[in-house]
Amino acid sequence: MIRVVLTRFAWTLVILLGVSFVAFMLMRALPGDFAIAAAGSQSVSPEVLDAIRRDLGLDRPLLEQYFLWLGHALTGDLGRSFVTKQPVLSELPARFVVTFQLTLIAAIIAMTMGIATGLASARMRGRTDWFVRIYNGLILAVPNFVVATLIVLLAGLYFPQLSIFNYTPFLSDPIANLGSLLLPAFSLALAVSVTISENTRAAVLEISSQDFVMVARAKGLLPRTVLRNYLVRNALTPIITVTGLQVASLLGGSILVETIFAIPGMGQYLFDSINSRDYPVIQAIVVLAASVVILVNMLVDIAYARVDARVKA
Amino acid sequence: MSTVRAMVDTAGSQNPPADKRQRLTNGQLLLGLGIAMLAVLIIVTVFAPLIAPFDPSKTSPNSLAGPSAQHWLGTDSIGRDVLSRLIVGGRTTLLITAVAVFLALAAGLVLGLLSGYLGGMVDEIIMRVLDVVFAFPVFLLAIAVVAALGPTVPNLILTIAIVYTPAMARVVRGPVLSVKEWDHVEAARSVGVSELRLVLRHVLPMVISPIVVATSLTLSHTIFTVTALSFLGLGPPPPDPNWGGMLSEARQFMELAPLTVVGPATAIVFATLTFIVLANGLREVLDVGSWR
Repeated sequence: MIRVVLTRFAWTLVILLGVSFVAFMLMRALPGDFAIAAAGSQSVSPEVLDAIRRDLGLDRPLLEQYFLWLGHALTGDLGRSFVTKQPVLSELPARFVVTFQLTLIAAIIAMTMGIATGLASARMRGRTDWFVRIYNGLILAVPNFVVATLIVLLAGLYFPQLSIFNYTPFLSDPIANLGSLLLPAFSLALAVSVTISENTRAAVLEISSQDFVMVARAKGLLPRTVLRNYLVRNALTPIITVTGLQVASLLGGSILVETIFAIPGMGQYLFDSINSRDYPVIQAIVVLAASVVILVNMLVDIAYARVDARVKA
Repeated sequence: MSTVRAMVDTAGSQNPPADKRQRLTNGQLLLGLGIAMLAVLIIVTVFAPLIAPFDPSKTSPNSLAGPSAQHWLGTDSIGRDVLSRLIVGGRTTLLITAVAVFLALAAGLVLGLLSGYLGGMVDEIIMRVLDVVFAFPVFLLAIAVVAALGPTVPNLILTIAIVYTPAMARVVRGPVLSVKEWDHVEAARSVGVSELRLVLRHVLPMVISPIVVATSLTLSHTIFTVTALSFLGLGPPPPDPNWGGMLSEARQFMELAPLTVVGPATAIVFATLTFIVLANGLREVLDVGSWR
């Protein structure tokens, strides 16, 4: 077990280094001079540009620049925004909390919907199964930003009294905060719930055909007991794994959904930075989000190995 | 109604053997529906300039008009015909999608065949490198690359091709690993067939089914990535229309002209659904489930 954890951990470190290196190289591959981009205008005197180059370490070899940048990033210095000239880290944590909250609510909605429809589909079969699978197939084709845009459109057309754009911070009013995040979280959760539903269905069907479930039924346990103690309990492992692996899709989707619902999270920050070409901020957000996804995937793997004795590396 | 049942009958259900013929028919119907939808997409894309009733970039004072006999889907905020923009915009979106997936497929085929067939160190090195790329969240990586290199059509195609290559290589490698041990490959080798010919004539044809299904699914994912990037402002530059960009632009005035949003939304969903239906039909007809 320790071996599995250590191997997985070392591998994760390698991938994180890869991510940081790619993010660093991309910002150096920008078309044009990085110093001019940092200065924010074309008409800067050569002396000022030289000062910026020295300041950012652009006059050193590339690999040295990378390790300098990495060292700074690890100690919490992610550079300064080109636009506001403030440290990126002064803005990012507050944004991250908002996105984290949105993603968490979306994950809860997705799991509830996915497990409910998946279980219904696998247990009732027949018409219910049909309906759920058609619904899943159709919903899978609707991207989260389309769902979000259509929700905003419908709300605007038919419920103009509903103000869906007023995001309330959690600390000022927790209830209103939850309310303002419910629709965005739902549009984020819809596609993810389909994946969870399909996997729940497959897992429950597979387990219910196994001998120990037949024995449980044969010895006269109540269907309810079999469902709870045998089917759901065993299907939970693959379901949680799948949900964990959907973090990438939730975080990626939050970029789009936050932009549409005007939620001041990391995604909206990224969108604004893309439009103002604020490269240090783009870089920081991509590295942070990618690291979160990679770390969650690692935790899912390790948890899976711990639960399932069959996984041995 | 039978297409409906076909979707229900995919993976996981335990059909008695007597159902075999029935299932095949349903799979064929699903595949037929997919091909019909694909034909619509292709015809509209190829003949876009002929079909589009107006010049998609031509503005007019008649802005945000509702649907009329002249403008079936109305006009956008600067008076351009929404239907024409949808038809022509599909070209950009689907072209990027198709070329990117084709490149990812080609790269994935080469890497997957090399890795699976040669095995050993080659396999180890290729797969480890691809694992690193695979561990990157696709959408975030695409945002970073396109934001840095600039949102041009070639950059979009290249970025998307790179992020989907590892998945394609994995799909190819898996079945190759087992097929290369099969008797007919051994027999061909014993009569002195060259290695290259072995791979191309005796291994590749046996693994084509899962690749076709995976390609169709990847196409549906790629449409999401392309339209989502365009939606964020990282799509092909204006004034050429594209679906993601249209959806994003239309949001400002959508309550005045809902069709400016509903149009591109429907187009994106239709194109995605086409490849999902196609993938499910192909999976049934080619019986890919029994591969694992």
